[in-house]
Amino acid sequence: MKYIKLKTPLCSIKRLGLAAGITLPAVLLIFSADAAQVRKKKRSAEGSMSSAMKMVSVSYEKSAAPLVAKYCLACHTGAKAASGVSLDKFKTTAQVIKGRDVWDRVAENVSGGHMPPVGAPRPTQAERDKLSAWIQTTLSRADCDLKDPGRVTLRRLNREEYNNTVRDLFGVNIRPADEFPSDDVGYGFDNIGDVLSMSPLLMEKYLNAAEKVSRAVIVLPESATMTKHFQAAQAAQTPGSGQVYGDGFRILASNGELILNFDFPQAGEFELRARAFQQRAGTEAAKMSFRIDGKDIKTVDVTAGAYSPANFFVRTSVPAGKHRYAVAFINDFYDSTTPPNPKLSKAEQKPRDRNLIVENLEVVGPFGVKALPSEMQKRIVVATPSEETAAAWSAAARKVLKPLAGRAYRRPVTNAEVERLVKCVTLAQNNGETYERGIQIAIQAALVSPNFLFRVEVDPRTSNPKAERLLNPYELASRLSYFLWSSTPDEELTASAAKGDLEKPAVLEQQIKRMLKDPRSKALSENFAGQWLMLRSLNNVSPNPDQFPTFNDTLRKSMRTETEMFFNAIVQEDRPILDFIDGKFTYLNEPLAKHYGIGGIAGENFRRVALTGDQRGGILTQASILTVTSNPTRTSPVKRGKWVLENLLGTPPPPPPPGIPELDKKGGPLTGSLRQRMEEHRKNPTCASCHARMDPIGFGLENFDAVGRWRAKDGEFAIDASGTLPGGKSFNGPGQLKTILKGKKDLFVRCLSEKMLTYGLGRGLENYDRCTVDTIMKSVAKNNYRFSSLIAAVVESDPFRKRRGQGDTK
Amino acid sequence: MINQPIPRRTFLRGVGTVMALPMLEAMLPLSALASSPKKRINRMAFIFVPNGVHMPAWTPTTDGPNFELPYTLEPLKNVRSDFSVLTGLTQRHAFANGDGGGDHARSTSCWLTGVHIKKTSGADIKAGISADQLAAQKIGHLTKFPSLEIGCERGAQAGNCDSGYSCAYSSSISWRGEATPVAKEVDPRLVFERMFGNGDPNETAESRKKRDLYRKSILDSVMEDANSLKSQLGIRDQQKLEEYFTGVREIELRLARAESFNRDQRIYLGDRPAGIPQERGEHVRLLGDMMILAFQADLTRVCTFMIANDGSNSPYKQIGVAEGHHDLSHHGRDAVKQEKIRQINRFHMQQLAYILEKMKSIKEDEGTLLDNSMIVYGAGISDGDRHNHDDLPILIAGKGGGSMKAGHHITYPNNTPMTNLFLSMLDRVGVHAETLGDSTGKLQQLF
Repeated sequence: MKYIKLKTPLCSIKRLGLAAGITLPAVLLIFSADAAQVRKKKRSAEGSMSSAMKMVSVSYEKSAAPLVAKYCLACHTGAKAASGVSLDKFKTTAQVIKGRDVWDRVAENVSGGHMPPVGAPRPTQAERDKLSAWIQTTLSRADCDLKDPGRVTLRRLNREEYNNTVRDLFGVNIRPADEFPSDDVGYGFDNIGDVLSMSPLLMEKYLNAAEKVSRAVIVLPESATMTKHFQAAQAAQTPGSGQVYGDGFRILASNGELILNFDFPQAGEFELRARAFQQRAGTEAAKMSFRIDGKDIKTVDVTAGAYSPANFFVRTSVPAGKHRYAVAFINDFYDSTTPPNPKLSKAEQKPRDRNLIVENLEVVGPFGVKALPSEMQKRIVVATPSEETAAAWSAAARKVLKPLAGRAYRRPVTNAEVERLVKCVTLAQNNGETYERGIQIAIQAALVSPNFLFRVEVDPRTSNPKAERLLNPYELASRLSYFLWSSTPDEELTASAAKGDLEKPAVLEQQIKRMLKDPRSKALSENFAGQWLMLRSLNNVSPNPDQFPTFNDTLRKSMRTETEMFFNAIVQEDRPILDFIDGKFTYLNEPLAKHYGIGGIAGENFRRVALTGDQRGGILTQASILTVTSNPTRTSPVKRGKWVLENLLGTPPPPPPPGIPELDKKGGPLTGSLRQRMEEHRKNPTCASCHARMDPIGFGLENFDAVGRWRAKDGEFAIDASGTLPGGKSFNGPGQLKTILKGKKDLFVRCLSEKMLTYGLGRGLENYDRCTVDTIMKSVAKNNYRFSSLIAAVVESDPFRKRRGQGDTK
Repeated sequence: MINQPIPRRTFLRGVGTVMALPMLEAMLPLSALASSPKKRINRMAFIFVPNGVHMPAWTPTTDGPNFELPYTLEPLKNVRSDFSVLTGLTQRHAFANGDGGGDHARSTSCWLTGVHIKKTSGADIKAGISADQLAAQKIGHLTKFPSLEIGCERGAQAGNCDSGYSCAYSSSISWRGEATPVAKEVDPRLVFERMFGNGDPNETAESRKKRDLYRKSILDSVMEDANSLKSQLGIRDQQKLEEYFTGVREIELRLARAESFNRDQRIYLGDRPAGIPQERGEHVRLLGDMMILAFQADLTRVCTFMIANDGSNSPYKQIGVAEGHHDLSHHGRDAVKQEKIRQINRFHMQQLAYILEKMKSIKEDEGTLLDNSMIVYGAGISDGDRHNHDDLPILIAGKGGGSMKAGHHITYPNNTPMTNLFLSMLDRVGVHAETLGDSTGKLQQLF
């Protein structure tokens, strides 16, 4: 698989043409001998570049053109060029840079061994290396000259960010965003500004969530008064007096009581309520007595007729603790003397039986008692009005809301912004509410403000829309905290921003280290790894229970936990990112250990386990990934191969052709083992070029079944886990496959760098970002592939720290 | 004081007639309702199934009325004179047209829009307005909710959805505008609570009124924030903020009209759903119940309902299909796989039968709820193995308030734009659009 030795095009960078207006003078591409020398040294230190790099400063005409003429132009010429790719029109380096979309593909196909096709004259490996290295380096250098930090579209908080932000602002872990609609995913992640949209439905949910949060944070003094509701059916009843009647009602057909043993939370005045109606008979209405501990409090006439219940209540003082609350029917009546008149219909009969039917009982109270504030409330409500005047309320509210809004909006706030919130408190006052209720409403307003819901980075208002600027310290703090924590900056980070020293490299580095150590960095495993590795999709898999009876929700959760903990260990211990491929440890609990056939692990709790042997080690052999890339009834070598190409190597296969060609128009279904059938399938040349890349990788993992258990056989067929990658590298089994993958560390590091940059920025990568990715890769290699060096390189990059004004380079 | 929506059945059964129910929204005396003259209303819904269907078991062999029900349509036998099968409709813009793979994403966001979506992973998402949203824009002000979007599967939460298309494309048939898919609700409980309140016993008419008042002022306050923010943003960011403005405005309108949107108190709400049922059929039926309630109570007249997202690989163990639906749909002419696809298609059809039969059982002043609706059901892919978007499996149920014939199989020339059907439907809810997507005119024969 020789193409992997060289840099191939970015896995997620959009292949855009250069801006029409920008041309690069050829001189930019010629480097002094010294500079070239330095570059060469650096590269050979990385040990990743071939000697073909020497050709870099050579022009197209001298280096690439002869090879193109020799191997490509026979097909790729003129208007009728194969696949519409005509290469004969390119004569100079500048033209190649302008036509970069095409040349990206040329490099990819040449280095990958896909072009020239089998049957045509094939270049030597040295020739392949030379051509693709020239293209890559030329385009890469052109990218660096673009020096464009790009611009991130206004991002609203996604569901995870919303939950975490509310948790960290107010100390309430109520996850209101779980009820929001899903956030759409772009470039593999759900934090992309362009893709995150807002809808009236979501706005409605924001209002509800803000109410929920404000109620959880601010306890209203009046909220000591609670309503407890009971269906009559939930109450006990005097034996023989009647029974449950319809859905939840009770009938008292004879004198008797409905009884609740109710725990009154504190002494005070309570309202006892009952909703009831009578079945009328005789001269008087049904009488209902409210009783506490057997003592009559009040007796009412239930005049409400059949099926039109009315509400009845009484207020009384009750001591704290359990008491017997009862309603009693006390004037039962039955007229046994008047027989029914057979001439009248049922409805016309004189009623002879008086009954009481109760729908529900409620206890409301206590009245006149204030509820105690929450701990968070004491910290937030730092001022209360000294008197009941409008001015006093506003003054107190201002003291509370200014710091609160600053934390919610993640920056110092303007007076106008504070006053808008203060107005909410005034409104409450005018409506006879308590001060605390007013603060609740102001918190709600802050939580639906665009300043809270969106991570705002304002654009510099200059006459030059393309002008770029450094982010201000608060913006940078937010980018950092949402990148590493999926949450709002904490006090320390905000203080550093306020002091103005966050931009200092040493401070920034120290903050990154601190933040990665903080438990909140678990957000990286849940959100970044959850999406990079597609762990979140585990929720949607449904392995066939007949074939995989041990798969259940506990195992599903355990699989995800294993990979998240593994990822988190690499973060916390700052391990080399290459451990993702073959780390010799993992985290297991009993269900998962059994699943893996590893003994001696008991209980639901996870613990670190050192791995020996070839079977397990690294994410590729974890059940989560193996299951997510399988079908419900079988493994899918295609999906597994595609997963590796997309998520580890960053060399996704082209999408399948539209309208899948029918495999065999005449014949019946294919037969044989899964592998045999797939190999049959690959004889079709339309399918072969891509499946030759995906399938062998998947075959290498065939020892793992569709839920990631080790197996030697698939049904009656012995597993053949050998494969040959395009370019000729062969392997047998997952151990050797991993060795090959680890040998492609440049591809892996590039892929992970791109994913991390995409996630950190919240936008798709563009051509001009390639230079940044190169820089990140170098920095990571220099730092022994430590995880923190990847994060630091992303944070220190221009796209992360700067922002271009509006206008696009397109 | 004690307003519990729970034990209603006794009353309804006991008196053998409809009774006033306790209010969940603002209370309006029944007399006021009775005095308002009832105009016959017409609703539209679009129910989407993924991965195409097995066409030989779907398409009737004869045209006109009295066609024999093919295997897949058999579950509809109790409503056989209430729907028509429309053959030959096409979404030509769902084809690749030079954009390569991605038929699942394309067919989803093309289904109701009739446009060729832009291939992008994120930046510059571009589809078009969908038929339901066009209706919602024009007649949405007549009901509490302009439209209802529901489905059984959330959008993908990670990774690539389909061949370089953003996941936004593959989980939404409903598009408010070119760049804005409309998110759907998957939890029946949340749909119920949104429509009828959360049943908090501490909530009273007075407290609700006050909450609405505070909400209004909260919205005023945040609009000021948004306005001052807007002037500091670049154009692309302003576009994003515009979505925010739209959201706020719609809620403001709803609050302003809260008093005029009192649902018909005579409707029996049933039990509050507890959450998302495990079994897919139950999930579909429960969401179907929510749609029916919303129509019945005239809370909305427009609904989109995705039984699954396209490309869904969900198995159907309850009918003995353990393999994933998408996996099976690439059947390669394997008869066993095709049979399983047929079974899945029929299973979906059984759920539709439940919905249609229930709608038919609900009497309205004139005709039934089904008579006063237009329910389109079908897929954006014809054969799941070929990924073709012509000769789509489409049926339409209901009589559009008496404006549409039912019980026929109509074969149109293949490649007739499906958007022509939508234009004709829109006419029947009072939305007179000239074009939609690739439409070439109104659809003949059905209306």
